[in-house]
Amino acid sequence: MSWETVIGLEIHVQLSTRSKMFCGCSTAFGDPPNTNVCPVCLGLPGALPVTNGRAIELATRAALMLGCAVHEVSIFARKNYFYPDLPKGYQISQFDRPLATNGQVEFDSAERGRVAVHIQRLHVEEDAGKSLHDRVPGRTAVDFNRSGVPLAEIVSGPDMRSPAEARAYLTVMRQLIMYSGASSCSMEEGSLRVDANLSVRRAGETRLGTKTEVKNMNSFANVERALEAERARQIALLEGGGTVQQVTLLFDAAAGTVHPTRAKEESHDYRYFPDPDLPPLVLAPDWIEQQRAALPETPAARRERLESSGLSPYHAGVITAEPVLADYYDRVINAGVPARTAANWITGDVMTAFNETGGFPVSASRLADLVGLEREGSVSLQAAKRIFAELRETDEPALDVAERLGLLQVREERALSEWIDEILAAHPTEVERFRAGESKLIGFFVGQVMKRSGGKADPKGIQPLLQAKLK
Amino acid sequence: MSTAREVAAATAAALERTGADGLNATLHWSRELLDREAAHADQVRRTGGTGSTLYGYAVAVKDNIVTTDQPTTCASRLLEGYVSPYNATVVDRLRAAGAMIACKTNLDEFAMGSSTEHSAFGRVKHPLDPDRVPGGSSGGSAALVAAGAVRAALGSETGGSVRQPASFCGVVGLKPSYGRVSRYGLVAFGSSLDAVAIFGATVDDAARVLNAISGHDPLDSTSVAAPPMGRPDAWEDLSGIRIGLPREYFPADLDPGVRAGVDRGIAALKELGAEVVDVSLPHTKYAVPAYYIVAPAEASSNLARYDGVRYGVRHDGEGDVRALYQATRGRGFGPEVRRRILVGTYALSAGYYDAYYLKAQQARALIAEDFRRVFDDGIDLLFTPTTPTPAFRAGDKTDDPVAMYLADIFVCPANLAGLPALSVPVGRSEGLPIGAQIIAPYFRDSRMLSVAALLERALEPAGEVR
Amino acid sequence: MSIGEKEVLHAARLAELAVDEADLPRLVAQLGSIVAYVEQLAELPADETAAPHRSGAAGAPLRDDTVRRGLPNGALEALTAEFRDGFFLVPVRGTMAGG
Ligand SMILES: [Mg+2]
Ligand SMILES: [Zn+2]
Repeated sequence: MSWETVIGLEIHVQLSTRSKMFCGCSTAFGDPPNTNVCPVCLGLPGALPVTNGRAIELATRAALMLGCAVHEVSIFARKNYFYPDLPKGYQISQFDRPLATNGQVEFDSAERGRVAVHIQRLHVEEDAGKSLHDRVPGRTAVDFNRSGVPLAEIVSGPDMRSPAEARAYLTVMRQLIMYSGASSCSMEEGSLRVDANLSVRRAGETRLGTKTEVKNMNSFANVERALEAERARQIALLEGGGTVQQVTLLFDAAAGTVHPTRAKEESHDYRYFPDPDLPPLVLAPDWIEQQRAALPETPAARRERLESSGLSPYHAGVITAEPVLADYYDRVINAGVPARTAANWITGDVMTAFNETGGFPVSASRLADLVGLEREGSVSLQAAKRIFAELRETDEPALDVAERLGLLQVREERALSEWIDEILAAHPTEVERFRAGESKLIGFFVGQVMKRSGGKADPKGIQPLLQAKLK
Repeated sequence: MSTAREVAAATAAALERTGADGLNATLHWSRELLDREAAHADQVRRTGGTGSTLYGYAVAVKDNIVTTDQPTTCASRLLEGYVSPYNATVVDRLRAAGAMIACKTNLDEFAMGSSTEHSAFGRVKHPLDPDRVPGGSSGGSAALVAAGAVRAALGSETGGSVRQPASFCGVVGLKPSYGRVSRYGLVAFGSSLDAVAIFGATVDDAARVLNAISGHDPLDSTSVAAPPMGRPDAWEDLSGIRIGLPREYFPADLDPGVRAGVDRGIAALKELGAEVVDVSLPHTKYAVPAYYIVAPAEASSNLARYDGVRYGVRHDGEGDVRALYQATRGRGFGPEVRRRILVGTYALSAGYYDAYYLKAQQARALIAEDFRRVFDDGIDLLFTPTTPTPAFRAGDKTDDPVAMYLADIFVCPANLAGLPALSVPVGRSEGLPIGAQIIAPYFRDSRMLSVAALLERALEPAGEVR
Repeated sequence: MSIGEKEVLHAARLAELAVDEADLPRLVAQLGSIVAYVEQLAELPADETAAPHRSGAAGAPLRDDTVRRGLPNGALEALTAEFRDGFFLVPVRGTMAGG
């Protein structure tokens, strides 16, 4: 008997603001503990929240990118629970009146083709602080730097049918959010977190099985692995005659297994109610439309545009995976580089530099200059790659670097002519053989001239001269 | 006009006297701090130009309004010794206007009470009768103004906690429109009801303080984007003014002394030319029950932050962090605070939310609608007793929470509706002060103060009414 | 509806308030009388459409995304019972359930 897997995902993305959701503290990542805190985000007596307009703008853009309806009125609500890193004893979130609802995200599933996932809601909330359990023996150390950092929570419908689909959905979702400019979506820095709900049911069954929640996954690959493990666990349990309990599980990446949280499960009773410190969030319809109009091209549209300009689907996919990469590509194109040449560079050396530095040490215009040198024959492709490596480290123009490294190709006819004459004089036998019809010897002559020139001769310039002299 | 130094010295002497009298109205003050306040006031006066409207005022501040140079305890064991790293907006504004902070005053713990008997640091006594309560929860501030130690004081209201003690003590109690005065730095109790409110020896004293502390504050999202309130116009008489007497505020069993005092006020209003008409606010009887859901529900959430983790007096319990929470909160909060947290938690919890919290919200909307209707029908102001009885005896109601709550029956509707309201003395009954309440339409605080000032003058001297 | 020992203990657990065994009967009685009193709200006919009443600013003001300096570590240390190496310290979590 076969089993069907049902998966829904809840993701939290950190909105890319400079200051926190309800206070002016910095959101900088990696600062010393408790250095970005104030009366508001520490929950001191008497402190009150004031909403960061930029966070609302970014959340709105993300919601529109996901095709959600953004509501003119939404309500901040308090989610009440006690936890050492939750300073006020409640989290300011949104409950029955979220910022946005009813979106849709599509992806290609290996098993089912094109799949549409319903986005139930996107709401805005504040993050909690961070508890460190291994810092001081017997104590929990709490850092409130993250407390109050703005988040958007995005909840999908139970629309995925396999761990691989969950991963594909996440990839598309991440790309959309990054395109909207709302978040950097970095799992390493905690600006993207994924919680998954999974249940299984017999094929053909329409009711949902009991679901469990899986947490603590630090990459999309691990989301897939964790869900594979949980699916297997649930199926084994049911096939053994057992039942699935509604629990929260943590993924152990090293072991590749999931295990229930050690904490005793309590029925959560968050006692949500509208936060009386915050009036309703009211957005003008005009403003929402402005945000919609300002949205960038979707990743899919951009990929199509690149493909129609002659790029392979592979190149178009790689370049549009991240909006910054695609933007860089556009700048290189605008600087006059042909599409496929640009794509070769970007998916090669530029990508390597990007992965290593997280940025573009060689600006689009400098890359275009370099490509120009290569295309006009002033430097060889091999030399261009050496120059690129040098450009990463300096601000020098490409031409200066080429000169400094002696990589400029010699194209003046006189210099080439002299070298050719020398080589022909030194190899009379080969000249005879060529003239007798051994035309493949042309390669030999080119090689000798290149060698004589110390690699500086432009091979494209040598050929016609050689041909003429050998006639 | 006295200099700030003279006022500071006189205030210190008065605080020493009220201390010696056992009023127990203050929780913190010192001569040294008062001297520093006076020096600051002089500096404001030298450099402040028009900014020194409160020069010469020493203002007592309820101890649930945070200050950096004195502790803020909310009269709770849990916050004993807590010193805020920032000042409330109202404190900064008082000082900027040239006022001196006189002291921090005693209150019912976290402002939960109507008699100032629920202070962890002992009850406040009524200045005229030590066996009676001054009202609450701002009883310390009320008592100090009544005892003449200060001309003005800040209190706070969630359900009448300034007007009720003002009435008991025979001083002016002014609750501005919700959103008129910043709540930033007022320790939250029921945030949708909370307001910084003012005691004055006279209407003018209260109006001056309101002028200094009102106006938009970007740190409070509920603060209305309006400039500071100007000084109210001085009116000649009340011709053309229609004043409503809501019949629900004049029950048959109203204390006869209170009734006589309010009647004296009504006669004076008529004498001044006002048209006085009977009106009805039919949902009044739901005000106290609605209040005792909404306020505790919000309080249960507002007081969750007192967990012993980041500040406050911590009790470790045995073992894990939950033990710490339960011990800190169980021992740190007094019985009335614990009761309200439990009621509020219960009202918000799964299965009860609709029956209690939502029902209370519905009642609140109906109460606000009652007011809107009478004001839309051409009533300019409402006039009522402030309290059903004069100051009661200490211990009378401490074992019966509901009886205590009913002391707020006439004052809490204005908090539910967010309206400006004021209590003004109208005489005495058997030696105890009687207050009458004026309630005005939203943001018509100025009109209310103009009428109160006229009434105050007409009723002078405040004598026995019965 | 009425409030009994079970409800009081449930609320106390949600509110993280230790309740003394000895105090319980009196607490149940007091909360019972409060709940019985507020029960009169049930007389109001149900009205799903009623908008809640709010005073003060009509819509949430939005502030600029500008960073402001927070409190120095020294100020935090003065507030709390246990502060070390920049961290607030508390006992371990034990059987706390997360949110
Ligand atoms: Mg969330
Ligand atoms: Zn902060």
